[in-house]
Amino acid sequence: MPGQSPAQSSTDVTPSCWSCGTMRAVHFCSSCGKVQPPVPVDYFTFFGFPRKLNLDTAALEKEFYALSRRLHPDGFGQADDRERAWSLEQSSMLNDAYRTLKDPIKRTEYLLRLEGVELEEQSKQATEKARATGELKKQVVPPDLLEEVFELNMHLEELRAQKTLGEDDPALLEEIGKAKLSLEEKFDALFNELKIEWNHWDQAVDSGTGDDRRKVLDTMLDVLNRRNYVRNLVRDVNEAMEG
Amino acid sequence: MSYSDKVIDHYNNPRNVGSMDKKDTDVGTGLVGAPECGDVMKLQIKVNPQTNVIEDAKFKTFGCGSAIASSSLATEWVKGKTIDQALEIKNTEIVKELALPPVKIHCSVLAEDAIRAAIGDWKKKQETANPAEVRAAQ
Repeated sequence: MPGQSPAQSSTDVTPSCWSCGTMRAVHFCSSCGKVQPPVPVDYFTFFGFPRKLNLDTAALEKEFYALSRRLHPDGFGQADDRERAWSLEQSSMLNDAYRTLKDPIKRTEYLLRLEGVELEEQSKQATEKARATGELKKQVVPPDLLEEVFELNMHLEELRAQKTLGEDDPALLEEIGKAKLSLEEKFDALFNELKIEWNHWDQAVDSGTGDDRRKVLDTMLDVLNRRNYVRNLVRDVNEAMEG
Repeated sequence: MSYSDKVIDHYNNPRNVGSMDKKDTDVGTGLVGAPECGDVMKLQIKVNPQTNVIEDAKFKTFGCGSAIASSSLATEWVKGKTIDQALEIKNTEIVKELALPPVKIHCSVLAEDAIRAAIGDWKKKQETANPAEVRAAQ
């Protein structure tokens, strides 16, 4: 699928325009302005951005609207079938790229995928290493958060049981409400943590080594995992309280 | 996705659900979580300090059927084993026994992690409870 293929840069793009043969851009020929067949580039390259996480969202939006207008089907009424098909494909990639890059979490997850970071594979490898060395595996979710998650799940189970019996325990509800508040604070704090890692990533892109970049990617994965964990838990709490 | 008969059996009749006093020096507690799915698993073992044999095991898991089945099976398997034997249990054996599909392999990884974490906790307690023995061994 275009945009999903990893590690493609603009240098891999066929450099000549199908129509006039001069240098072309990703979407339109920079010389004759004809629409180009889509090429498998990543979403950052699609918009002409560096693969960085602090992204100028105003510029992204401007570029999105400009390209949307140029790729609009109305502009290809007179064009041949090939051009019409290409403009549609470019349009669809444009929408995917925009939606992914606009959202800060999706953008980070997308970058991790592009850089080949796979969570489950890492977890499995860490378990295998622990088995081989006899050392304890470092858990992705920190122990104090796990304790909190476990306690809260116990309370939720109790709450569900009470609801089935038609009972109501204000103390339990208050306990769960407090836990939910604490989780929501954690959720926000984790987003701020992620933004700090964006800066580290962008610096590493400019002047870091491969090891530096790998370290930042691992940290970002760690933060995202904890954030997902907390998000799922808040969702469970809401369901249990409403249900 | 359909569960295997063994998963369904463990899910409907989970073995060894419950908890032990985590302050007991003979009890080791492992609490682990899988961020992919939000599962959380607590596995506890009670070890005979003379023989190092795991005499009892309990678990409580919040998660999908495969996570519950994996931890239920893990408690069955560790019971009666020595600490060293229990450390040899591999997640792939759990996958095989329960016929877990690839998307549920992380549940078996979690169960192996829980066993290791519980044993690690128990070992740590033995060192703090018997510092003289540890010093003598060094």
